[in-house]
Formats: sequence, structure tokens, C-alpha cells
Amino acid sequence: MMDLIVAVLRTGTPMIYVAMAGVLAQRAGVWNLGLEGLMITGACASAVIAEQTGSVALGLLGAVGFCVLLSALLWLVIEKLKANPIIAGLGLTGLGLGGTDFGIQAVYGSEGAVTAPAGIPTLGPAFGPFGVLDALVLAMPVMVFGVWFACRRTRFGLRLTASGEHPFAARSVGADPARMRLIALLLGGVLAGLGGAELSLGGLDIFSVGMTAGRGFMAFSAVIFGAGHPVGATFAALFFALVEFLGIKAQLVFGEHAPRDFVLMLPYIATVLGIWISARLRGGALLSAIEMRDG
Amino acid sequence: MSAALACDGLTIRFGAFTALSAVSLSFAPRQIHAVCGQNGAGKTTFARACAGLLAPSAGTIQIGGNPLRGGHVKDARAAGVELVHQSFALPPSFTIAEAMEFGLTGKRGAVFTRRGLQARWRGHLEALGVDAKPSTRIRDLPVETQQAVEIARALAGDARVLILDEPTAVLAPAAAEALFERLKRLRDSGVTVLIILHKIREVLAVADTVSVLRGGKLVAGPDDAASLTAARIATAIIGHSPAPAGDSAETAEDIGALVGTDLPHGHRHTLTGPRSVAALTGVTTRPGADGQSLQNITLTVGAGEILGIAGVEGNGQRPLVEALAGLVPLTEGSVTLDGATVTDLPLAERRKRGLRIIPFERNTEGLSLSSPLWENFAARSLLAKSALSLIDPAALRRAAHKAFQSWDVRFTSVDNPARSLSGGNAQKVILSREMDAEAKLIILAQPTRGLDLGATAFVWQAMRETRDRGLGLILISSDLDELFDISDRLIVLQGGRIAGQFAPPYDLGRVGSAMVGEH
Repeated sequence: MMDLIVAVLRTGTPMIYVAMAGVLAQRAGVWNLGLEGLMITGACASAVIAEQTGSVALGLLGAVGFCVLLSALLWLVIEKLKANPIIAGLGLTGLGLGGTDFGIQAVYGSEGAVTAPAGIPTLGPAFGPFGVLDALVLAMPVMVFGVWFACRRTRFGLRLTASGEHPFAARSVGADPARMRLIALLLGGVLAGLGGAELSLGGLDIFSVGMTAGRGFMAFSAVIFGAGHPVGATFAALFFALVEFLGIKAQLVFGEHAPRDFVLMLPYIATVLGIWISARLRGGALLSAIEMRDG
Repeated sequence: MSAALACDGLTIRFGAFTALSAVSLSFAPRQIHAVCGQNGAGKTTFARACAGLLAPSAGTIQIGGNPLRGGHVKDARAAGVELVHQSFALPPSFTIAEAMEFGLTGKRGAVFTRRGLQARWRGHLEALGVDAKPSTRIRDLPVETQQAVEIARALAGDARVLILDEPTAVLAPAAAEALFERLKRLRDSGVTVLIILHKIREVLAVADTVSVLRGGKLVAGPDDAASLTAARIATAIIGHSPAPAGDSAETAEDIGALVGTDLPHGHRHTLTGPRSVAALTGVTTRPGADGQSLQNITLTVGAGEILGIAGVEGNGQRPLVEALAGLVPLTEGSVTLDGATVTDLPLAERRKRGLRIIPFERNTEGLSLSSPLWENFAARSLLAKSALSLIDPAALRRAAHKAFQSWDVRFTSVDNPARSLSGGNAQKVILSREMDAEAKLIILAQPTRGLDLGATAFVWQAMRETRDRGLGLILISSDLDELFDISDRLIVLQGGRIAGQFAPPYDLGRVGSAMVGEH
């Protein structure tokens, strides 16, 4: 049981950070399909910088910096160049996946992996099975609470939500929806950078090309599954992590009898099911939310 | 005493189009000022410019003697100007308390608890007569309450100039009167009210001064309302725009209905045949995404009859169209069309039997804006054929060209996209497609909304001619003047039920109380 909690927290935390980035963007009216790209950029930058400088702190800072820059780029493309946000987000994902692949090959040759000298500090053996939990996992509930509080209990959050749901209403009270989207995307960049760093420096301390393996998209699905609510998205991400853990367990228990490809597919199947269920529950609310932008 | 709000040479252009042209006006404080004009006269543009939502291309706006930086909502609000939009600007997922809060400025109270937020606004809402819990979501409120919330939001700060853009368009007559009383109390407490209206009757009921816009220019005012007559305002509003064609008795009433001077009472019309072209029997539907449904609706439409459907918006008008069109499953009841039961037939089959629809939203449901005009026209005949049948684009183009000419559509080429047309011409394209020779029942949902006087009169004339050819028409409108003027019979929908049936001469009081559910 302890293993389960620890494993789900460790697998879920990177996704939760990235999902919170998605929640902020979604509230401001951007369906951010660039989350996958941000996540891999964060994972790559943190590992490479940690390896080059020997400092995990600089690695985290670098991951955040890169993701904030990329988010600012996404904002420019959407708001100033008037690109379709979905396409622009997918472009960002392509840029992240391709850019990190290319960068690693250029710097480290064809190995496709970087080993960091250390990971994010953990609790340590004194805490038994919980000892492997690192600072970002422990900070995660505080972070989720912070996002929830900002969205649901502050006037800033109301204006952020209004900017996404009814941009004209936001403009009518003097808020600038474009500016709110910039704030949401930049804050999201910080969170996605941390989420990516947790993925590479939160255990194995290795970055390998393509290691996000769709987790950014799963974070995006968690936003939809959780109806844009920070706590809902968190539980959705934990659910996806649980399915992944159960798949691995099944492999350990049944060995050869559990078809490996099917087990690896489980989290993605859960994601598709999650989206389907939330679409059934909310009867097309997703589509109307997308069409709502600037309507 | 300096004016509460004044503008000088105010000009607003959108690209090559001039929406407002050199408007100079000055509104005295503590009065109710009406600004009227027909659709497209620039009223909404004027209101939005005064609220800082639009930056003037030329000219200035002054609030209480201080110049307003154009296009800065924050500045306008800081100066005490608040705008209540025609279609309200409140996020539907917000609770009333959140909707009150999100527009507030200032540092105090930027962070809150849910209960604290509701407590903060309860008193304010009660004082303004908003009859709903602060925890109710905007999307669950009837339109009158949404409007009351929006007005309460506008008054949450220190509003000195309140601008209302066509506030009566969504209200039942009694609610409009209550609104006018509320505005008079606000005026007496020191607020300057600017109210955009297009019905002269309402202007005379509430305004201290009247200004008239026509084609983006100020043609009269602000004049003292006491010195004006309905006829003089009507002349200023209409100007030399195309008068309704047709025989003169109807024309006189049409003009009255168009500018809202006297409410028409309607005329009895003899049916051309005793037969019914469509009937609903005990029709009930499940609530849709917008919460609307039909409850046990039974009605018939006769051949050669215009059946008017009145009601406050959101009381079952949309499900009624969907039920007739076969777009929602019925939980109970049956639908007949031209004598045959069509309850289980899809829309395509119903169209083959003569059902035609002029939908609510002409730009999204009625036309494909990015498609050429001829394709929009050809949709009717193409959809009636099988998917594998061959088409002859040249013939379709010719047919569209011919139909558009006979319907007086102003277009340059049938290959132009539908978005190139003005509202009136776009509606004529839909009419030309839907009012064809094989039509038996035509549903017209808000067919004149947003059209100018000339185009509105054209649509009415087309409806009368179609009726006289022996078709059945269902006219759904939120404009009682329109309904009273051309309906041969009137049904009021309220909460998805039939709340009353009326025959001419119509009585505003009785129709109005049916609309709000008083019997």
C-alpha cells in the first residue's frame, strides 16, 4: 500500500505540475496543446544544465527559464500573430520534442541520454518508504492549493476565468484578456518547467530523448477530465498515474503472461476513457468552450 | 453646470465603414437621456465609445468635464461610467456574487472566501431588488434577472453615468415598466442615465431628453422629451429610408410597428382553406443544454395563416423549432406535417414534405458564411438529392442568380462568399432559399432581428405574400410590435408551456401577463 502511494505520487507529480499549467491556460481561454513540448523542454534543460554546472538548483532554474520563454513565444504567436491556439500549441510540442532531440544529439552525440550528477533533494532514508519523495513532490499539494486559491478565491482568478469564458465581459470591466492570457501562460511556463524537471531529476536523474512519452498530453487530458478545476485535474492526473502503476505491477506479478505492449498502453487507454467519460458527463461542453473564445 | 457626458465630433470607423460620423452631443446630469434610431444607426457603437470600449477615430469624449482617453474602459469606469450591454456581458459559469465581484476595482477585498463573497453582495443585491440567491449561477437565471444582475454590477462601484444598450429588448412589457421605474429612482438619487431604445413608445415613457441617430449621424437632439411627439421622433428616425411597400392600410400600421409608436392591434384574416398544414399534439421534450424544453404543447397552423409565437426569450422557442424540425427526440406527443405524421422522420424527410426554416442565427445556422452564395442557395435542392447524384454547378449558379434577382438581393456575384452581404441581404438569400414553391410550412425564428427598417418591412411583406399563397407560417419573435402587426393568431410560450392563445385585436396587458406567467 505504501509502495502504491509513493509510486503514484512520484509518477503523478510531474503530470500534476504540467496539468496546473494547463488549468491556468484553459481558464484564460487557451487550450494549451504545447504542454508536452514544455514538459520535455523542462526535463531536458534541467538535466543538461545540472550535468554541465553540477547544480540541481541551476537546473531547475534553467528549466523554468526555458519554459517561460517558450510560453511567451506561444503567447506572441497566438495573440500578436493571431495563430490558431490549438495549432500553435501543437507546434510548440513539435518544437520541444524535436528541439530537445536535436540538442542532445548535437551536444552528447548519438547516445540520446544525459545523466545528471544528482537529483532533486529527497527526504532521505530516515522516512522509510517515503524517503524517496523529493522536494517537488512534497511541494505539490501546496502548489495545487495555491493555483486553486488564485483561481477560485481572488478577483484575479475571476478575471482570469472571465477572460477565457467571456472575453468581451472581461473587456467590459476593464480587464485585458490578452494580458490575462500572457500572465496565465507565463505562470504555466514556471509550473510546466518544474513538472519537466521532476520527470528527469525526480528519481532516475536521467534525461532520455522522448522520455515524456505523451505525459504532457495526459496532463492536458487531466485538465479536461477535471473540468478545468485545479483539484479535479490533480485527481485526474493521480488516476492516470495509478493506472500506470497497476500496469507495471501486473507485469511484475504475471511476468510473461501480461502482454507487455498492452500494459504499456494502459495509461493511454485510461486517458481516452477519461476524456470520453467527461464528454458524456458534460455533454459537449468541451467543444463549446473551444468555440467560445472571443465569441 | 458641466455636462455629465459630452462628445464633440465623435467619429468611429471600422476599416472603410464609418459607424459614427462627427457626433456632437452634451448630456446634462441627473436626467434620463434616450438615444434612439433604427438598426445600424450607430446606437451601440455610440454607447460603447462612451464606455471606453471603442477608441474614437476622431473627436473627443468628456465625462464630467474631463476628457476620456479613447478606448480605455478602466478610465471610463474610474470616471463613473458603466455600460449595461444588450446581450449581457457576464460569464455564464459565474455565480451572481462572483459576477458582482469580478469587475470591481481597488485593493480591498481582492481575496475572499465563498461565504464572505456572498455576504458582501447580499445587501447590495437586495437593495436593488435582485430576487435571487448570490450563489445562483448566471446561466441558470432568467433573462430579466440576468439584466438586473448586470445593472447591479454596474452600480456596484460609484457609477455616475449609467448607459443601457437596448435594455427592453429582452423584457416582457411589465418588466420593462419596472425597469423604467428603477431608472427614474436612480436618476432621482443623482445618476445620469443614457438609454438606447428603438421604440418610441418606450422613449416617451421614460426619457427626459431624446436624441436621434440615423446612419451614424446625429439628426436631432438632445431635445426636451416633453416638447416632442411620437410622429416627430418617428420622422427623425425613419428619414428617407425606404418605406414599406404594399397596400396603404397595412403600410401605416407597419410604420407604427417598425418604430414602436402605437402598438398595433392586428387584423382578422380569413384563412384561405380550413386545412391545417402542421400540428403538434401533446409534445414534450427533455431539457436541452440551455435548460429549455417543451411541456405538453398542442398547436396547429392553418393553411394561409401566420401563427405568432410570443414569449420572453428562453421559454421554449428554440425547442419548438427543434421539435418541428425533428432535431430533438420527443418524450411524448406527435408531429404532423401536411396531414401526415412525421414524428419519427428526420429533418431531410420533413423538408421533402414542405418544411422550411428561417433559423434564429442567420450567420451560423442559416448560411455558411465562407461558402459562395450559389452554394448557400443550392443547399436546399442538393440536400434533397442522394449523396451520389451528379450536380450541375452552372445550372445551380443560374438558378441562384435568378432567385436572388427576384428577391431583390443586392449582390455582385453568386461566387462571392455569403459573408460579403449585409444583414438584410443575407436574410433575403435565406428567404429566397426557404420560401420556394414546394414549401408548405415555414418557420421564421427572429427573422427581422438586427435588420434595418427597409429590410424588416421587406421580410414582413414576403411573409404576407407567402401566407396569401396558402402556406402556413410560424413567426417566433421577441418583438411584440412585430407579432401584433402581422400575426393572424398569437400563442404565448412561458416555461415551455402554452401560457395563452390570443386573436386580434391583441391586448398588450393580457399578452404581457401571459409572458411572465400570470393568468
